[in-house]
Amino acid sequence: MADPYRARAPFAPWDRRTLPGLFDVEDTARRVGNYKWAEMKLFEALGGWVATVPELDVKMRLGTHCYKHAWHAELWHKRLPELREMNPDRLAVPANDAMVRFVEALTEPEAPDQTIEKLTGVYRVFIPRFIAAYTYHLNGTSEITDAPTIRSLKLILPDEFDDWRDGEMMLQSLIETPEEAARASAHQLRLESIMIEAGGIAGPGTLGSQ
Amino acid sequence: MRKFLPADQLARDERFNTITMQDRFNDPRSALGTGDAATTTAGARQKFRLTPERRDASDGARGLMHGIMVGEIQALEGAGRTCWDFDTAGVAKTSSTGAHSAGAAQNPSGDMDVPFALKLDMARQCWDEARHVEISIKLSDWMGTEIGQFAENTVLFAAACSSDPVLRLAGVNCALEGLAIDVFTTMKEFGDLAGDPFLEFCEDWMLADEVTHVKMGSDWLRKVTENDPERRKKALDFQAVVDKLFSYGGTRSDSDESPIGLARRFRALAGFTDDEVEAINDVSVQALEERRARGAAARASADPASATST
Ligand SMILES: [Fe+2]
Ligand SMILES: [Fe+2]
Repeated sequence: MADPYRARAPFAPWDRRTLPGLFDVEDTARRVGNYKWAEMKLFEALGGWVATVPELDVKMRLGTHCYKHAWHAELWHKRLPELREMNPDRLAVPANDAMVRFVEALTEPEAPDQTIEKLTGVYRVFIPRFIAAYTYHLNGTSEITDAPTIRSLKLILPDEFDDWRDGEMMLQSLIETPEEAARASAHQLRLESIMIEAGGIAGPGTLGSQ
Repeated sequence: MRKFLPADQLARDERFNTITMQDRFNDPRSALGTGDAATTTAGARQKFRLTPERRDASDGARGLMHGIMVGEIQALEGAGRTCWDFDTAGVAKTSSTGAHSAGAAQNPSGDMDVPFALKLDMARQCWDEARHVEISIKLSDWMGTEIGQFAENTVLFAAACSSDPVLRLAGVNCALEGLAIDVFTTMKEFGDLAGDPFLEFCEDWMLADEVTHVKMGSDWLRKVTENDPERRKKALDFQAVVDKLFSYGGTRSDSDESPIGLARRFRALAGFTDDEVEAINDVSVQALEERRARGAAARASADPASATST
């Protein structure tokens, strides 16, 4: 064995992590607060919709997904005090007014024959926005100073991908006619337009500035 | 989507039929039925415990499993609605127009807001109940039952419609999930006696979740009403009403005359005190007496001579 007292580089040759990151503590806390609010709105909507969808397989999926997003909200809730925000509710807010309108439009469908609209809003608009925001955050944050956020993002992102795939497959199996495809597109367009105004889950700059 | 969805608005596919609880008990295939009481020899105490020896064990167990399945669907729906129907304490309520949101408008004082952690528990319960639906569909299939072969009554969801979240916890988590502990224990024993390890295995897993849900409910009930004895009393009264409703005809008790046993050990794990379990047993035993009296009255009207011969 090599001499245990011989000086070794503190960062192994394969450890290429770097210090710089795109977000300071305050930026990170603001973003994390927006994430928590958005995940909360998503799990509440999924929970509420369970009783309104007649399709049994969809009912069970929504119940399962409801928990996952609640758990994400909890992870963000716990991260906030570590980012000097001792009152986690203070930052658990929508990024802006358009995000509030987005959630209102997202949660508008209630009737049992509107499963396509419900799923489109969540799986073709909202969840892709989570995936984008989280991926940008993961790729941009300091790999050393912000390791706890990275850990949460790496736990959350696979859930988002899994749920997106579940949702997309449910939609593909529910949409059987061009008219139903048009319904999905129209609803997607409506929600996407509000989301563009919002700038993403964390507002303008969710994906940085081009 | 509105806040507070009435039970008659629950979305179901074409296979489901909704009936009243009374009709469900009166379904001759039901293991919980009390119709046999009228045909027993006057005064004799008949065993009703759901075991494989019962003549109607097959239909009874299948009907009960189907009842579990629709109950799990409603438990899933109820927990989901609690995530949606109430605002979260501490989180801003304003909508895009600056007005209060629909839920906040119904509850401007915020006294029905629920803690964030309670909502997280309800979301967790959604996942658990979704698994229970999956399990009970697979078990029903295993037992040779098709979805919709037995009817559904929505009384469980009705208990989850209260405008006070604490009453929901009392009615659903403490009373109905407590009943689920009794039902699953009986079904687990049924699986054991019938030599069906598949049934026994699944019931054991669901039982573990239900113990957690009951504990979750009673812990939150105590916590939320810590400084509000009146609200706590209301919740406990509601729990007693639901317990009584589901003890109709003596459905569950320590007596073999009840189709379902009282799962004292698992109830203790879920946090029920001995006194609380005793109270449930008393209500059920009283209901059993009423059932016997009804049976005697029915026999008397059918054959006045037999009524006097005992
Ligand atoms: Fe359950
Ligand atoms: Fe449960």
